[in-house]
Amino acid sequence: MTQGVLLFALNNKDVDYVKQAVFCAKKIKYHLRLPVALVTDNRNYLTKHFPFFEKYIDQIIDIPEAHTNQTKRFLDGVYAIRKLPWKNHNRPDCYNLTPFDETIVLDADYIIGNDSLLNCFKLNQDFLIYRNPTDIASTLRKIQKFDRISDRSIDMWWATGFYFKKTPFMKMYFELVQHIKDNWPYYRLVYQIPHSTYRNDFSFSIAIHILRGFQLNPNWPITMPGNMYMASDADMLHSIDGDKLSFICDYTSSGGYYVGVTVEDVNVHVMNKFSLGREIDKDKEFAYE
Amino acid sequence: MSKGFCLLAQNNSTVDYIKQAYALAVSIHKFNKDQNVSLITNDEVPEQYKSVFDKIITIPWTDQAQETDWKIENRWKVYHASPYQHTIVMDVDMLVLHDITHWWDELKKRDLFFVSNVKNYRNEVITSRHYRKTFDENNLPNLYSGFYYFKKSETAHEFFKLLEIVMINWELFYGKFASNYYQKWCSMDLSCSIVSKILDNSLEITDPNSFITFTHMKPHLQSWHEVPTKWTTVLGSYLTNDKTMLIGNFLQRNILHYVEPEFLTDRIVDRLELL
Repeated sequence: MTQGVLLFALNNKDVDYVKQAVFCAKKIKYHLRLPVALVTDNRNYLTKHFPFFEKYIDQIIDIPEAHTNQTKRFLDGVYAIRKLPWKNHNRPDCYNLTPFDETIVLDADYIIGNDSLLNCFKLNQDFLIYRNPTDIASTLRKIQKFDRISDRSIDMWWATGFYFKKTPFMKMYFELVQHIKDNWPYYRLVYQIPHSTYRNDFSFSIAIHILRGFQLNPNWPITMPGNMYMASDADMLHSIDGDKLSFICDYTSSGGYYVGVTVEDVNVHVMNKFSLGREIDKDKEFAYE
Repeated sequence: MSKGFCLLAQNNSTVDYIKQAYALAVSIHKFNKDQNVSLITNDEVPEQYKSVFDKIITIPWTDQAQETDWKIENRWKVYHASPYQHTIVMDVDMLVLHDITHWWDELKKRDLFFVSNVKNYRNEVITSRHYRKTFDENNLPNLYSGFYYFKKSETAHEFFKLLEIVMINWELFYGKFASNYYQKWCSMDLSCSIVSKILDNSLEITDPNSFITFTHMKPHLQSWHEVPTKWTTVLGSYLTNDKTMLIGNFLQRNILHYVEPEFLTDRIVDRLELL
């Protein structure tokens, strides 16, 4: 059985997901020592700007250039907002794209800080996915908006990180996710999702709810091993020092009041992609590869 | 030994409780084989509704709810009017959505049983005390009279004799036993809890860990951050031909206390009949 990590990197004009993916792959190699495959629509950009990528990425999976009319509001702290194309439509294809029998799929902006994800391969499950992320500033604030896909709807599961085995059941699961994506205007109304933007977390959550028989079920799916820490896009990554990440976190509902938070040896979903990009550039080790 | 469901229904100016009782009786029959259902009412029962009831019983003695709209005042009489040795009493704004015939075996172990834990539409145990402040402030047993059981017995008889006195003199009893967070209207839940407190029998007549429960659709119990006035304004409901009821995309496999009369559309009633 082959095992590995699958990453996606589809750049838009302002966010360099390829850079994030190479950085993410470097962390994966250090902590998990697993093969990494990168799905991208711009191999040339990768090879030109990150000629050292082969140290961290074992396989490139080319897909046609992604075009989308879909946009998303990206925050860089509370006050800087940019509306940019959001190319997130390939995630349901991961069953067909992955070269591995057992695959961990991660967002490129997920920074690995320990080896807890290796336990995915020991749990004898077809599917593992994150459920309740830990807010890095959880002692200061309560982010309720991530508990369900909307206040009156179903539990939220995070496509940021999941593990699957290639089994007929998981094939069916991803086909269902694809069906939900293809019929997004219908499903988002049925599941009371206010925004029209397609989001993988939502389609994955809906598919889970349907396959659970429209019920809460503590037995399936099992959550990914270890914690997924999360910094919102209103927070700013301030520095990367090895496995120590320092953030400036917005901690009020009105916004604009910040406190410093440092985490170490944990896996963190850095939702502020701009600050992540800036800090990767500053990371000396990475810059002089 | 006879056993059956007893439903008390009195229409008021806005709500057709007889129709609700009919829908409940249909749901009982569709999901549970060989059950008896009696309706206690003084109202005219439409001919097409009668077949689901094995008995239609006149409210005993006088109608004490003639002057009121909530029609709560006759509820203590169900014990005396029930034709069964073993009786399950339910609010009529409920639907039975699964086979509960095995509940009888559990209920028969007691003389009297009230539900004391309820679920929300996601099938999560309700922890909200939003509607139970009077109970908490006065250390009253947490009883829900939406679903209860009694056996014709000395214990149950004593309970309902006292319930009659409490409900007729509710202001006096609420003032004495529920003076904190005083409730300005008579309710069956609060009256039963006061009776249980007086008789000191809550451990005998309920069990918070029991599997006997129902889904309560009052909006503040649904663990929402933004609570609407009525759940029916924010959740869709679907009853499919294969006996599947979905509310807000959650499968309902429980007794559903739907609370809001507008939930019971003709379409839902038609679907129930066709199951």
